Amino acid sequence: MQKEKVWDKLSTDTEERMNAANELFSDRKVVPSQNGVALLEAVIRAGDRINLEGNNQKQADFLAECLGSCDSEKINNLHMVQSAVPLPIHLDIFDKGIAKKLDFAYGGPMAAKVAEFLREGKLELGAIHTYLELFARYFMDLTPRVSLICAYEGDKDGNLYTGFNTEDTPVIAEATKFRQGIVIAQVNKLVDKVQRVDIPGEWVDAVIESPKPFYLEPLFTRDPANITDTQVLMGMMALKGIYGEYGVQRLNHGIGFFTAAIELLLPTYGNELGLKGKICKHFALNPHPTMIPAIEDGWVESIHSFGGELGMQKYCEARPDIFFIGPDGSMRSNRAYSQTAGHYATDMFIGGTLQIDKYGNSSTATASRVAGFGGAPNMGCDAKGRRHVTDSWLKCGAEFEDQAALLGDMPRGKRLVVQMQETFKEKMDPSFVEKLDAWNLAKNANLDLAPVMIYSDDLTHIVTEEGIAYLAKCRGLEERMAAIRGVAGYTEVGLSADPKETKTLRERGIVKTPEDLGIDRSRANRSMLAAKSVKDLVDCSGGLYEPPARFVNW
Amino acid sequence: MAKWTELQDKSFLEATARERAVGIVDEGTFTEFCGPFDKIYSPHLPLMGEAIEYDDGLVAGVGKIGKKPIFVISQEGRFIGGSIGEVSGAKMVKTIQLASDLYEEMVSEKPDLPEEMRPAVVISFETGGVRLHEANAGLLAHAEVMDQIQNCRGRVPIISLIGSRVGCFGGMGFVAAATDVIIMSQFGRLGLTGPEVIEQEMGKDEFDASDRALVYRTTGGKHKYIIGDCNYLAADSIRSFRETTTAVLQKPMEEIETFRRIGSMEKIKEQIELVKLSVSLKPKDSMDVWAHAGNENPESLINMTLDEFLAQAKRLKA
Repeated sequence: MQKEKVWDKLSTDTEERMNAANELFSDRKVVPSQNGVALLEAVIRAGDRINLEGNNQKQADFLAECLGSCDSEKINNLHMVQSAVPLPIHLDIFDKGIAKKLDFAYGGPMAAKVAEFLREGKLELGAIHTYLELFARYFMDLTPRVSLICAYEGDKDGNLYTGFNTEDTPVIAEATKFRQGIVIAQVNKLVDKVQRVDIPGEWVDAVIESPKPFYLEPLFTRDPANITDTQVLMGMMALKGIYGEYGVQRLNHGIGFFTAAIELLLPTYGNELGLKGKICKHFALNPHPTMIPAIEDGWVESIHSFGGELGMQKYCEARPDIFFIGPDGSMRSNRAYSQTAGHYATDMFIGGTLQIDKYGNSSTATASRVAGFGGAPNMGCDAKGRRHVTDSWLKCGAEFEDQAALLGDMPRGKRLVVQMQETFKEKMDPSFVEKLDAWNLAKNANLDLAPVMIYSDDLTHIVTEEGIAYLAKCRGLEERMAAIRGVAGYTEVGLSADPKETKTLRERGIVKTPEDLGIDRSRANRSMLAAKSVKDLVDCSGGLYEPPARFVNW
Repeated sequence: MAKWTELQDKSFLEATARERAVGIVDEGTFTEFCGPFDKIYSPHLPLMGEAIEYDDGLVAGVGKIGKKPIFVISQEGRFIGGSIGEVSGAKMVKTIQLASDLYEEMVSEKPDLPEEMRPAVVISFETGGVRLHEANAGLLAHAEVMDQIQNCRGRVPIISLIGSRVGCFGGMGFVAAATDVIIMSQFGRLGLTGPEVIEQEMGKDEFDASDRALVYRTTGGKHKYIIGDCNYLAADSIRSFRETTTAVLQKPMEEIETFRRIGSMEKIKEQIELVKLSVSLKPKDSMDVWAHAGNENPESLINMTLDEFLAQAKRLKA
């Protein structure tokens, strides 16, 4: 007779680990914060795959500190699977030998340190992902054994309220708990009854009230005072030459001053062009403060958000027709769903980058920084699985000559993927280059591939202060490169343009200068912006927007 | 530069010194003294290998508001923080002196010179005070400016405008305090020791200079308006500053004198009362002072629009 097979090793192991932590609980699922380190040492084993919640916005920083204080004799060689590594403590955990391997999506301010640790062998890299790609792997081959998450409120049964900043928590908790893993939450406040159950108590094993509220980075706040006249010009070009031209109604805006300028031009230049109701109705977007004037002016029908933006909570709650608000009256963000919307349901992605090569590949990586991807590649690509039709998607598909070369006479749409970049950055660094710095990074950090944010075959338009290159209309790579040269200004790439060839491209409408678009450069200045300062945004919101202290100058 | 009419709606905060100087007086009336084409620049900076500006970061000149000659001084924060050195200081001194001389000349010719024709001085501050590269000359200039301001007392009104990025700090904070009238916007800042220096000398617990909200509610226009350091709050446009200035200048000199913070026994007594109050109140935050002034919900004042604020804010009474 065959020996009976064991099918519940995972849950048995989890039970053993939880039993080891028994005496650390003060009441049901509550663990006092001073027992944080002991709890982690009890339930984590060397070599475990661990998720430490944190993305480009909220951070389970208290649990990160606890993990960093664990005894590396006991707990070491952990495999961290986490969205982002933006805090110094994230790297300290590797420095102390507690963790060894990293799979992540976004480096943020620690990007240089990640590259350094890779070189020194302190950190072994699995892969750099996009958010959605990493979440997908939580349900495939990177399921966490223990997850350390964060929430605004928790009760003694483990129910969590993550509210405005729900972000990655549901994905992490579900992936972990449904493979018998352990979920530990730090909460800002222990309460009798949570405001709303965002994560059911059954999915959570321990709740710790952290000494300080979790850290929240206002990453998507752009001070209108820092928008330049050139950014206004490029915003006007994009509005007229792309938004208006294609009638883009569903979209995502990246972080950055170019799209902030566009948001603030909607109520002024956008109205002048008569575009209200024709463009920018639905967004997958964090609650950018610079969206306030356009929302107040009636441009926007809906916004679903990846995360919450510090200071925007009250404003969002007061606009339930626009944002996704729960029955309790507060917003719920969700990175996985918003990324899915951004991937499948938007007609355009538009954002800035650092470098674009002569073929049109672009990257935010530099030779010494592992910046990661975040969510941009999922939105800045053509969703090949998309089957529903919108006008702008069809229009761009119809003019996409190179697609037809593989499809024959079969029509197909194409998402607009737009990169906005001035030809030179600060310190006269050219934005257009022969070869991306990403190649050097791949060499320095031992990566298999140069990290590319947006590949050229996905890219449809480039906007610079020189003009717009309509790449989707180009026939073949040679013509695409000529169009890129045509808008690359005085960079080496731009100087290699043949004026005759650029003239032909202008005649064919593949390159358009501001003059070709009928834009008066002398009007392109800050006076066009619907708000010129953070205070203007506060006033426009009727006092609902409460900017973080660092943005207050009144 | 933009046309005068376009300048009027320009943000005062974002405007350059020259835009402010041209826009604050009537259209087409501004004439600059020692402008950039005269190339009068600091003799000290080249010795230190530092960049110079041909106007030394200060625009001076004369224009008119109605029939009044207006002597304008406007500091440029984009050049070494608007700091005052030998040349920019001398331009300030001489411009005030010219106003005083013109007053003497006009009054001696016509003793009953109508109020509406009498000269005035307008200073748009954007400075951290003395330029450390030429500290002695800069300090001396501060003293000479003070001397000229005293000289103008009761004769030539001097109006301060504070609403530019750098604010008005250091020795120039004293200078502004010594003028007759101070007009600020809520984005303006006025003080003596700058926030970074306080933090450096007294520690982060005393004053956290990185907390911008704290810095502005301690030195900003709204606070200065409540405690009486500033007389008027204007909106953030050149037009609003010009209109407020015009309204003030329509008042007779005796009334303008009453706006001063210092300069008489009575004013000194008021200041001493304020010092006593600060000792007894021991405010931890400027909002404690606002509450003492009778503002029931001081925090709500911070994000109010200017109109709401002016309608609701209660000011400290000495």
